[in-house]
Amino acid sequence: MRMYITVILRCLLFAAMALSVYDYVKINQYFELFGRGYIDEFSLYVTTWRGTFLSIVTILLIIFNVIDFIVVKKKKNALLKEYILSEYDVSDERAVEITGKAVRYAFVFIIFYTIVLLASYMFIPNYFLDYPWYPIFTTASIPILGLIIYLITFKYFHAR
Amino acid sequence: MLKNRVKELRARFNLTQGDLAEKTGVTRQTIVSLEKGSYTPSLLLAINIAEVFGEPIEQIFYKEDDATK
Repeated sequence: MRMYITVILRCLLFAAMALSVYDYVKINQYFELFGRGYIDEFSLYVTTWRGTFLSIVTILLIIFNVIDFIVVKKKKNALLKEYILSEYDVSDERAVEITGKAVRYAFVFIIFYTIVLLASYMFIPNYFLDYPWYPIFTTASIPILGLIIYLITFKYFHAR
Repeated sequence: MLKNRVKELRARFNLTQGDLAEKTGVTRQTIVSLEKGSYTPSLLLAINIAEVFGEPIEQIFYKEDDATK
């Protein structure tokens, strides 16, 4: 359960960061276009919920990580030296081995997915102004999908 | 492929998977997959299990082809 919570919170953090950056880029892009004379006027709707969402997720993740670290530290059989992220299960030697296996699968996915994404950025000059969300959200999707692959792989091997 | 007699010995010693997990310092899930043969234990865990049952490691863990000899 703790792994589900950590992965969901971490994914939400990346998504919230992407949303906040997207807002910032979009607003600044309007000012840039206006300054260069491409548009005569523009209207903006500024909302604070994205920033609030980012703050809430960050606080929740920090609290959860602290609690998780305390819980892991209290477990007498836990391999504390293997504890780097709260996503890592260090409850015993088998959990550490499966964590390593899941990380390897996620790493392979990230390597190949990044190649595909980088290749897709070739099209940016054509529609970068119209679709500024694309590079932001695709970049955020790298760790999000990597984490999901990690979670699925871990649960698959753990259930065997 | 490493085979083992953990399930048989655990039954003989009247231990639950949880008891053996507690004595050897691992989770119950690890004992479950050890008995299923889907997990190869570390040398340390194998020694710990051997100590619990009071038998030499090679009497508990063996290669699959050894069993057919």
